[in-house]
Amino acid sequence: MSDIAVAGGSTAWRGGLGVAAQAAGKRVDARRALQLALAGVWLLDAVLQYQSFMYTKGFSQMLAGTADGNPSVIARPITWDATLVGHHLVLVNTLFATIQLLLGLGIAFRPTLRLALAASVAWSLGVWWFGEGLGGVLSGAASPLNGAPGAVIIYALLAVLLWPADRQAPAPFTAARAVGAQVARALWLVLWLSLAYFALTPANRAPGAVSGMISGMESGQPGWLAAIDRGAASLVTGQGLATSIALAVALVVIAAGVYMPPEIAKATLVLAMVVALVIWVVGEGFGMILAGGATDPNSGLPLVLLALAYWPAKAMTAPAAGTERTAS
Amino acid sequence: MTPAWLLDIFAALMLVVAAVSAARLVTARPWVRGGAAAGPAGPDVDVAHLLMAIAMAGMLSASLTTLPNTAWEVIFGLMTAYFAWRVWRDAQANGVRALAGGHCAPHLAHSGAMLYMFLALAAPAAGGSGMADMGGASGSAMQTLEYPTLAFVFALILAGYSVWDLDQLSGRRYVLAGAGVQLATAHVPAMAGGAEPAAAALSSPAVTGDAASPSAPSAAGPLPGGSRGRGPGVRALLLSPGTTVGCRIVMGITMAFMLVIMI
Repeated sequence: MSDIAVAGGSTAWRGGLGVAAQAAGKRVDARRALQLALAGVWLLDAVLQYQSFMYTKGFSQMLAGTADGNPSVIARPITWDATLVGHHLVLVNTLFATIQLLLGLGIAFRPTLRLALAASVAWSLGVWWFGEGLGGVLSGAASPLNGAPGAVIIYALLAVLLWPADRQAPAPFTAARAVGAQVARALWLVLWLSLAYFALTPANRAPGAVSGMISGMESGQPGWLAAIDRGAASLVTGQGLATSIALAVALVVIAAGVYMPPEIAKATLVLAMVVALVIWVVGEGFGMILAGGATDPNSGLPLVLLALAYWPAKAMTAPAAGTERTAS
Repeated sequence: MTPAWLLDIFAALMLVVAAVSAARLVTARPWVRGGAAAGPAGPDVDVAHLLMAIAMAGMLSASLTTLPNTAWEVIFGLMTAYFAWRVWRDAQANGVRALAGGHCAPHLAHSGAMLYMFLALAAPAAGGSGMADMGGASGSAMQTLEYPTLAFVFALILAGYSVWDLDQLSGRRYVLAGAGVQLATAHVPAMAGGAEPAAAALSSPAVTGDAASPSAPSAAGPLPGGSRGRGPGVRALLLSPGTTVGCRIVMGITMAFMLVIMI
């Protein structure tokens, strides 16, 4: 992938950064790989933000809609922000998209990694409030299937956990390197227990809640995805309570998994990734990207990245000697 | 509607990429120096970048007229087949990892995405008249892509390669300072096809990451190709792999942008 010196022939074309550069360039440790994945997600968010829909009143109306059900102290700034966006749609939306583009590029570009990660945390918190209405956490609309607690708050969590520092070495898993194992595990526990809680709220355990939510994803999706949604919705029709309980049990197991011995932890992390992928495909329809008008891929994808950050260290690619100078 | 000026900015970026790729071709003159052997940043890559950048600029800006869509389909069909063949050979030589991580894999993704874009354009004005009307969600007469799942997959792949390229580019910052010197001292003679200059390059201070000797450029003597007095720095920068990778990053992001706004 990288264009590195190769002895012989047309070296001028090929460049010549040498063997040392090749070795350094090729090795990427687990944390750097996850940072790059996060950068890729920000890049995807940026190009999504440039879509035509974001330059219509529909975008500001979508923002305003996230105020619904929130306490007024939360809702008023959202409404103000939506009005502002509505009045300066082209300028503000282009600014939003460009900021996200710069975040993605900044994380990928090693010299600006820290700055970009720090900025991404601040930006994520802002978007979580003004763009996602705190993910519906306070409005009662949150569900693990519809993206709770909000995709961007998971981006922020990832940015913190993937911060290029080593508080604990050797760390039992990548996410523990920056904040320590205890804090990392606690954050994981809070996140997944909160998802379990949201799965059991009255709105989500009603008989038709889950099937309604899934079938609501069909609109505008490609045929194959709509067919999956239809099949999944029919599978859980009228089974809202049972589905919610099963989902909550799985989420609690996942939450506790990081406190288990590595082999069990791995199994629960695989479960976490499977659940996240099911949520992403069935519950979120890939964030409705294929239907047009999505601002991000929603929570399923970042949840998978988060689970990878907790994978026990020995199974991940160990940081290679000499890479710390440049990587992560 | 995505503003036309925004599309024009991306189109302008593509024209810059096209100009840089053309300048690389003209400066290195592979047809004279026998340097046409395909490499990771070889002339084939520059030709590919040149064609892709022109095609994308034409798609992005309504005021630019390039080739008919059918011609582009043939060009990118051939290009995709060529890079698929290169990736296949790379995989045979270096293992399965080359399928995704080899030198030619990103180029295969880029040309495949271009071919897909031209083949999948589904909408009212699929006649190569620019994309000022493109975009999927707001419903008016717009260009959209058939099989949007493929567009999404390509966008993800392109975003992935772009961040990876940027990481690799910035990860070499400790040796990049020496790279210019290395290019000036060793690469240009190497264009004649001799292996010795390349071997010398591998043993130069730049390769080992040491600080480059300030006297190194002058040791190279006058540069061939009529660049005497123009300064080796510009030439080295133009011919450096970093420039190619930079172009690839810009094109990858632009392509992902185009794919997503046409979903």
